[in-house]
Amino acid sequence: MKKSLTIWKKELRGEFYTWKSMLWLVIASLTFSLTSYLLLTNKELSLLDQTELMWLLSKVIVGIAFLVTALDAASIITTEFDKDTAENLFLSPISLADLMIGKFLAVLTLWAAIFLVAIPYIIVASAGSGLTLAFMGHVALLGTLGVSAFTVLIFALSLLFRTGKNTITTSLIALLALGIPATFASTLKNDPVSQLLAHVNPMDAIFSSLDNVLVDYHTSVLQNWQYIVAVVGFLAVSLVFLYVSTRIFAKQGIVKND
Amino acid sequence: MKTKLLIPILMFTALAFVAHAQTVTAQPLNLQISSSKTLSGTAGDFVAVTGTITNTSSQQLQGVTTYLSLSDNQTHKPVDLEDWSAEKGLYVGTIDAGATLPLNWKIHFVTAGDYSLIIVAETIGNPTPQVSEITQFHVAPKKNLNPAQVLPVALGVPILLVFALFLLAYRRKVDE
Repeated sequence: MKKSLTIWKKELRGEFYTWKSMLWLVIASLTFSLTSYLLLTNKELSLLDQTELMWLLSKVIVGIAFLVTALDAASIITTEFDKDTAENLFLSPISLADLMIGKFLAVLTLWAAIFLVAIPYIIVASAGSGLTLAFMGHVALLGTLGVSAFTVLIFALSLLFRTGKNTITTSLIALLALGIPATFASTLKNDPVSQLLAHVNPMDAIFSSLDNVLVDYHTSVLQNWQYIVAVVGFLAVSLVFLYVSTRIFAKQGIVKND
Repeated sequence: MKTKLLIPILMFTALAFVAHAQTVTAQPLNLQISSSKTLSGTAGDFVAVTGTITNTSSQQLQGVTTYLSLSDNQTHKPVDLEDWSAEKGLYVGTIDAGATLPLNWKIHFVTAGDYSLIIVAETIGNPTPQVSEITQFHVAPKKNLNPAQVLPVALGVPILLVFALFLLAYRRKVDE
């Protein structure tokens, strides 16, 4: 665990030390600002109820978080292969598990930074609705579970592909494949196949749960268990995939002979 | 020669007047608004505009269509009804002689302001459409989010972050 923390700190120095490496956080905050401004001034959006506006903002926060963390997760391991530092790293007394945990914590820290930046927006958007704590709590819970699941999945891909280009492309495609159907209106999900996909799609579960909390006032965790179970299920599947990919990685060795 | 020319011109003019008078006087449809003449609400609200259309003639009328016409009282320009009503027009079809049919529109108040709405009815073969009385809309603006709270955050957070980045860059330079 100590080694994991060392790796985590090393990664954080890389993530947050220079202004260039933190510019994405400013861009994320500008996106939240632009969304808030549009919610306030756009003719169509300003007609929505406050709860609908909060739901829209929550989806933007989660969407930005998924995009940033997916890109980070896709490069944080593969960069070791791309820069030829993987061999030295694995020859040092650091286990693969230590490395994974350290890098996983670094990606989660990015999510924590995005969430911290989003808190002021959450507070002003939900002012007077009585849903501020529920808004923050569910975005934190669902965002953490979702980001964790995607990060684990992308780590598994990283060990299999060992190149940044392939991992980033596949991760983004996977994110879009799950994210785009989640934005479809519920009227487009009336057939059994669409309903089944909606139940197993973690992005759909996250957006539906936020809808349940912010629009339908079902604020307790128990009232959202079916959505949370879907995201936890996705995390479990990702963990199994990571386990399999680590086995394959260990079998192939650090220097892969294609 | 002049008289010869004048007589057909006068006859033609008289016939045209008669034809026009028949068109104007023959008003086979009667549009009545049963909802309030003034409807008020906040942007985002839905209101119902109801009325009736009556065939006052002694003959069955075919191909009757009714549609809405909305204009902005401030700009005096017509308003695109796309967001205001899912049904811009109602096809009534055939109305028997003396029959009355209901008309019902669900109107979505989109933008704050004052508007005038009329219902227009036209019939196949009748070149003059008929209009209802005017219904006045008074739409108040809707503010869900408080600009006094949102704008400082929307402007302040990015500025604070940029300031933090400059501080970080400065600290790094000092360290080096």
